[in-house]
Amino acid sequence: MSFKQGITAKPRPRITPDHQPLWDGFKVHKLMLPYCEECGKPHLPPGPVCPYCLSDRLDWREASGCGTISTWVEVHKVWFPAFADDVPYNVIQVELAEGPRITANLIDFGGKIEVGQKVQATFDDVDEDLTMLRFKPA
Amino acid sequence: MKINAAIVGVGASKFGRFMPDTQLAMAAKALKEALDDSGLERDEIDGLSMHMGWPLGLDYDSVAEGLGLNIRYVNQAWTHGRFVTNTLQHAALAVSAGLANVVACVTAISFTRERDILGGPGDMEGYREGGGTHGEAPHYGLTSPAGGAALSMQRYMKLYGATSEKLAAVPIQIRQHALQNPDSVMKEPLTLEAHQTSRMVVDPLHLFDCCLMTDGAVVTLVTTRERARDLKQKPVAIAGMQGIRSGRDEFIFAPPGLGIGQQPATNIRSRPIDVEVFEAAGVTQSDVKGVYTYDAFSPLVLFVLERYGYCGEGEAADFVQNGAIGPGGRLPVNTNGGLLSEAHVAGWNHIREMTRQIRGTAGPRQIPNADVLQWGTVWGDSVILTAD
Repeated sequence: MSFKQGITAKPRPRITPDHQPLWDGFKVHKLMLPYCEECGKPHLPPGPVCPYCLSDRLDWREASGCGTISTWVEVHKVWFPAFADDVPYNVIQVELAEGPRITANLIDFGGKIEVGQKVQATFDDVDEDLTMLRFKPA
Repeated sequence: MKINAAIVGVGASKFGRFMPDTQLAMAAKALKEALDDSGLERDEIDGLSMHMGWPLGLDYDSVAEGLGLNIRYVNQAWTHGRFVTNTLQHAALAVSAGLANVVACVTAISFTRERDILGGPGDMEGYREGGGTHGEAPHYGLTSPAGGAALSMQRYMKLYGATSEKLAAVPIQIRQHALQNPDSVMKEPLTLEAHQTSRMVVDPLHLFDCCLMTDGAVVTLVTTRERARDLKQKPVAIAGMQGIRSGRDEFIFAPPGLGIGQQPATNIRSRPIDVEVFEAAGVTQSDVKGVYTYDAFSPLVLFVLERYGYCGEGEAADFVQNGAIGPGGRLPVNTNGGLLSEAHVAGWNHIREMTRQIRGTAGPRQIPNADVLQWGTVWGDSVILTAD
């Protein structure tokens, strides 16, 4: 897979084995988080071990999908030709109710994005191989 | 081991956009100027600390071969803002440990030819396994270091009531410094109106909150303090250093505790670990006559002032008002004009300026009695330079 792949199409996520369960969850419209079976904490981005206690014993569990926008940006520059028709578009970081933060975008909102806004996960089936996580106002 | 190191020579190529010279040609010019500045001979250089290399530039071996150097110590970083400080620190460590007598810190950048790598389809940094360092999410269209600075500034504005108008004080004053520097690429004053009406790049960052993309080289020569005293110039001592702070408390373009990425959101902005450099140098913030930082984006200047304790949590946007960081201000920042207005030579143009300031040769930009200056970045590494 070339890093130039996004010239004509939007870049696909680069899914490593550590990330695979997250993306598999999106496909069945679930937001899954890796929980540590030793210390009990969930973490993101998905890693091979618990970053808090270094345990290998991770258990993927479904999260609530509820969260709060911790920060956001609106991209105006056309960095990706494939996003030219979308500018300006938003990218948000969401602090999930379970604690870890995740990056996605906000859809179906009334034109204003705010830090602190409550949001709910939703799933966008892009094609048969890819479902993207997005958020909408809660 | 105690750090025993000083900057004894600085040299640069011309800075500009779409320079015809190769990286090696710019490096050669900067090296010759640094040798001339220091009084050292080329054969006395036996160490290389490289702030260039794949994927943006040449590696150490091509530089040593092309410039006819005979090297017995190498540190190789790559052209990334995060590695400016440790490139200089490795030089200081190497001469202190006797691994080399004279280390040349070399950077030669041709951003105007290589800029496709800094965002968009060519951004292999953001697309590597595990992702980029600035919060990149190419599949959502978030790319480029600018995105990371914007993520931090948006939250900062909401938490502390900072505005784009207040933020503009940073690039406006750094431009004022640049206008007193003949090497600056930017030659016209920056007004608040021009800042506010400049195109939005990634909200909340306007065009003039983002640094220049330029070409240029700087070579910095480092040796021991004893040796420095016998050389041509007034020595500039590396009086104290601290390394990059890294872990889940850190996001590259945020101060501690802001709550970007996986950072905890706390109200503690300057921790003991952030200010160890002052004790190492035997000074305090009140001794520092000027601050120099990696100003790739104007918010980074605010975050640096808070991390190093020049002001409190959320206070930097007010701190920088009324000329505080401009020419003659109470704490001048980046008197060369920075990455925002002199040129993007990754901060080595700032190190060159700090050297001139401590020597007292900064001309119209000279800070009175510039005996203690801090280089400190938003990711927490720092070097204090002093008159020996």
